[in-house]
Amino acid sequence: MKFSRRTAAVAVVASTASLALVLSGCSSDGGSGNGDEKITLTITTFGTMGLDGLYAQYEADHPNITIKATNIDTGGNALTDWKTKQASGGLPDIQAVEEGWLGSVMEVSDSFTDLRDYGADDIKDRWVDWKVGQATDPDGRIIGYGTDIGPQGLCYNGKLFEAAGLPSDREGVAELFGGADASWDKFFEVGKTYHDATGKAFYDQSGFIWNSFVNQQEEGYYKKDGSLNIEGNKTLENFWMQLADAQKAGLSANQAQWDWGGGQAFVDGTFAVFVCPGWMLGVVKGQVEAGGGDATSGWDFADVFPGGASNWGGSFLTVPTSSKHPKEAAELADWLTQAKQEVASFQAAGAFPSVLEAQTDPGVTGESELTKFFNNAPVGEILASRAEGVVAQFKGPDDALIQEQVVGPARTALDAGSADGPTSWNTLIDTLHQLIG
Amino acid sequence: MTTTSPATRASTSKSALSLRQRLNRADVKYSPYVYVAPFFILFGLVGLFPLVYTFVVSLNDWDLLKGAGDWVGFDNYAIELADPWFWNSLFNTFSIFLLSAIPQLIAATFIAAVLDQNLRGKSFWRLSVLLPYVVTPAAVALIFSSIFSEQYGLVNNLLGSLGLDPVLWKHDTFPGHFAIATMVNWRWTGYNALILLAAMQAVPTDLYESAALDGAGRIRRFFSITLPSIRPTFIFVLITATIGGLQIFTEPKLFDATRATPGGAYHQFETTTLYIWNMAFNQDRFGRAAAIAFILLVIIVLIGLVNYFLSKGIATNETKVSRRRAAKRLERHRAAGRAAVPASIEIQQER
Repeated sequence: MKFSRRTAAVAVVASTASLALVLSGCSSDGGSGNGDEKITLTITTFGTMGLDGLYAQYEADHPNITIKATNIDTGGNALTDWKTKQASGGLPDIQAVEEGWLGSVMEVSDSFTDLRDYGADDIKDRWVDWKVGQATDPDGRIIGYGTDIGPQGLCYNGKLFEAAGLPSDREGVAELFGGADASWDKFFEVGKTYHDATGKAFYDQSGFIWNSFVNQQEEGYYKKDGSLNIEGNKTLENFWMQLADAQKAGLSANQAQWDWGGGQAFVDGTFAVFVCPGWMLGVVKGQVEAGGGDATSGWDFADVFPGGASNWGGSFLTVPTSSKHPKEAAELADWLTQAKQEVASFQAAGAFPSVLEAQTDPGVTGESELTKFFNNAPVGEILASRAEGVVAQFKGPDDALIQEQVVGPARTALDAGSADGPTSWNTLIDTLHQLIG
Repeated sequence: MTTTSPATRASTSKSALSLRQRLNRADVKYSPYVYVAPFFILFGLVGLFPLVYTFVVSLNDWDLLKGAGDWVGFDNYAIELADPWFWNSLFNTFSIFLLSAIPQLIAATFIAAVLDQNLRGKSFWRLSVLLPYVVTPAAVALIFSSIFSEQYGLVNNLLGSLGLDPVLWKHDTFPGHFAIATMVNWRWTGYNALILLAAMQAVPTDLYESAALDGAGRIRRFFSITLPSIRPTFIFVLITATIGGLQIFTEPKLFDATRATPGGAYHQFETTTLYIWNMAFNQDRFGRAAAIAFILLVIIVLIGLVNYFLSKGIATNETKVSRRRAAKRLERHRAAGRAAVPASIEIQQER
């Protein structure tokens, strides 16, 4: 590899540790934004990661760098996008990768830049250790910088709870669901109480409840040795039956995931609770606003989660080896995951930082747009409390495919009431055999 | 003329050719190939190469991310032909195709007939029917997806206000096909109407006039003159609609866009092209996807052949009819002529 004067100059700007210093030896005009060649960095993100506001700032600090950002609506679509480009070319300089499809990524981890070449070892203490562990491939190469993690709390609509005669303040709600001993049994029980009082559904659809439960297990769709863990798994099957019973009792609103009638279901009282990993808070806010609501719509965030600590999602920024500017890309990824920037993206979208320093930052624990939206709930503190005890789960190569194409159809049938628990579970197992083997 | 035999002439001229002459000869001989080469080079690059490549891929256990795997011969084809999801996708494709093509062509013919009348502001009306065609399929799909939303959509709201049950557009098979066919119709009816209109305008007006003199009404004239006259164009429209219909992708893909399983929750409107895409880019099975693509190719070729013979049959029918008529007329003429002035007929025939 040869390094141009420009790369060296930029390296100084970013001041990333020793490597940059060595390179700058051959460049005398190093300094902020003195790069003589314009570089365009492309970055692909998805959902609401809260990074959009940061690009302009980076561009202002680095005049020779232009950032072309693409944001894809959902993680599922982003996965397809990545796979297509992984196979045919056209990957961006920075590719955001979701925890759920990390298994696929690890299959081809050698097509991602080993960030240790750009100083990853020097900064890896920045993150919670399991986040770095997830981004490390079997050969010990670090291929991604952690952005957020997804500790889950419970979003609920205080107004609807009040109307149903249930406690509506955060402490009361946490207590209602069982506080530290909150269980799924208790969750469904409260749901039935709510349904009896109002005749309305309790949650939007069963898919996210199912995700949360699976993510909570020590082993999810895969065992740690990489073998499948679905057929004959009584824990999963029993929970599936519980979901079927709850559906029969009218607890599911059978909403379309990620659609929710363009957000209307969030404001018209269709359902009253919603499982919320940190990044989902931004989604809820966006949906409520799309549906014509605002902070007065009643959504709140409680420090409780059925079945204990659960992590759903969270992402990484990777640099595909196809990038022409891996060094600059790695620097941008580094910068975007620094404590200050993670605090900013938390405030924008609720993406709870995977960086330790950011987790205790007043910007996270204090007030923000998000806390105002969620009835002044201290969302940062709550998420930090929800993050305690989270264990990273092993994700196999087909984790995302199982989630979406094996569980998806069976779950839809269950929510629509067109198949009962055992029937839909059998559908699920059949589909599993067809698609995965 | 000299008496030199062709053989000697050739041999002497060959040795005596100057460079210029030889270049000239090469020009005559080879440059036509150079002139047609761009097409074949382009075709080779973007047509033939992908075709052959896809075929090679289809014979391998090819993974999207990990690349070529083991050589498996025609196993991929065997697996697909036995896969119920493959047949499901074919059923969906043909169902949506029929639901869209038939009403679309009927409506297009009707609209073309209306536009063919003496309307005020002709250009305005003609441009208006083409307007949906300008909108990209993705935008069409998003708009219709919202209109056909189950719990919040316009259609179900209207049905509800009429006291009818909501229709599960995104969960039931037939309503889903209907909704997607609606999108296709919305986009393509005007386009086809304009093509048919052009054909209608080429029908000679004296045919209508003489028919009107013979007492044929508007409807009779439409069915007995307009429709037979535009038959070749109609077949063209039918063929393009078939090709488009068998490759329908965007509409079913975006109809339930947030769903992770493409083509609906239960694959109930997963068309074959969508099935190929899902196989390749969600399930990573590139080899099997290539095999399906080839099976689809064979199906389209078969349908193309049916179309070909159909249109050929109709074309020969027409010439047959006109030949028969000409022969009959000639016969009558002859018979009449023989009676009166046979000589003049002979002369006419000489000409």
